[in-house]
Amino acid sequence: MSLLHRIEHPRDALAWEGDMPTLGRYTAGIAGEKFFRAIQEHGQFLGTVCPICEIVYVPPRLYCEQCFEHLDEWIEISPIGWVHTFTLVHLDLDGNPLPEPLPLAFIQLDGADGGLVHFLDEIDPEQIFVGMPVEAVFKDPAERKGSILDIAYFRPV
Amino acid sequence: MIREVAIVGVGWSGFRPITPDLSYKELMYEAAVQAYEEAGIDPRRDVDSFVTVAEDYNEGTSIFDEYVPDQLGALHRPVQTISGEGIHGLAAAVMQILTGQFDVVVVEGHSKASNILTLPYILAFAFDPVFNRPLAVHPYYVAGMEMLRYQVESGTSHYECACVAAKNRNNALLNPLAGYGAAISAADVMASEPVAEPLTRLECAGHSDGCITLVLAAGETARALTDTPVWVRGIGWANDTPWLESRPWGEARYAQAAAEMVYRTAGIKSPRAEIDFAEIDDTFAYKELQHLEALNLCPPGAAGEWTAAGGTEIGGEFPVNPSGGALGQGHLLDATGLARVLEVVLQLRGQAGQRQIETAEVGLAFGWRGVPTTGGAAVILSN
Repeated sequence: MSLLHRIEHPRDALAWEGDMPTLGRYTAGIAGEKFFRAIQEHGQFLGTVCPICEIVYVPPRLYCEQCFEHLDEWIEISPIGWVHTFTLVHLDLDGNPLPEPLPLAFIQLDGADGGLVHFLDEIDPEQIFVGMPVEAVFKDPAERKGSILDIAYFRPV
Repeated sequence: MIREVAIVGVGWSGFRPITPDLSYKELMYEAAVQAYEEAGIDPRRDVDSFVTVAEDYNEGTSIFDEYVPDQLGALHRPVQTISGEGIHGLAAAVMQILTGQFDVVVVEGHSKASNILTLPYILAFAFDPVFNRPLAVHPYYVAGMEMLRYQVESGTSHYECACVAAKNRNNALLNPLAGYGAAISAADVMASEPVAEPLTRLECAGHSDGCITLVLAAGETARALTDTPVWVRGIGWANDTPWLESRPWGEARYAQAAAEMVYRTAGIKSPRAEIDFAEIDDTFAYKELQHLEALNLCPPGAAGEWTAAGGTEIGGEFPVNPSGGALGQGHLLDATGLARVLEVVLQLRGQAGQRQIETAEVGLAFGWRGVPTTGGAAVILSN
């Protein structure tokens, strides 16, 4: 036995709308706290080093994801890096076209094995290329909140 | 594997962009009844355990796993819901049979994507809340950045990526289940609107509603139930780092690791020579190429040229996504990998109609959990 009768007209197909209530706190953690404080207070990136795997983690972590060793060696990382890959986003979260394409990149930071995903600005989107040297532009110290958005964007060096 | 496991029944429903007439429970019921009829079993008597795959946010209900037993005939029985790709659910069901404690296990995955009014927001909610979510950008930016890096590292052209979308949409025309069939060319695909450059609209799978139910049975039970069992030869799954900040943007290492496991468990040494065809995640067109290479079905960087030359078409030397894939059938959320498995089963049984591959004896299905994840699962089936 399966479905014996079907709804045969859209006007008979009822549905109800509702939303999902979600409000939470997201703890930055020990490593995240140090990373964001350094940005907020000094306009500086910090990373951690795995001496065994010779990996420099930015954002910093307290453990190596390759060998699982605890990491406690901290170093300052240059705010300069290069575009590892990028995209021009054409849609907002509702799927509507953006007035201007929005450039985002994965920026490989000099001296680190990782990097950051962030906006690119102060450049014609058509001029962006893989390998392009860029630097972080921080917000004014008074506007910083200890967030990834304390970095305003990256721009060509 | 230490015990034989076979798929002895399949059922499906929906596979359409909208299904306003059916609740998700009715989609599941319809697919379940079909699978049970085909396997010749009564779920209230013959099924030892049920595994379903679902994400609470996609369902719009917390503790969603509580809502699956009734429409599957699973009351008072072992039931578990996995939050993962559909093939992760299949892996769990296979493992249950391998324990020797269960002889018949049912796997279910479904999508009611048309009821999710804010799907990009849900995907964006999957980003790390501290490091990535504040950017508040459409989550397909990850696909755009992956695609470009894949192109740079592999030397694959945009045209070659677009050939995947053209092939799969055309394959879907031969599949009565597929809702997105279209006679389009790679040029049409490249000319469609940009979503996250270089990715265009027609390189992204649209969504479908639907359900897939599979009945699995241990060796002797399988032989007793059907003359056409489809055997599970191997299964594998793996994750890469979840951090956008340390992932390899050009490579699908989760697929490489899942491939290593699925070939090891299946005893396969030369995948390309020992497998006849594959159904591989193509949520975005470039993903089919990246996954083909990661699954060691062609040399690194060769998938694009192979595809553009027709090698992966239904009549080609190694058909890939004869069903139309997610690009041709629509993306079924968590159930997408089970749609890949369904096609492999139909091909191995010789029930694939106009898109039947003549020499289908061993097939591979691979599922990926979509952006922003780095999780994938694979299964090898044979007749």
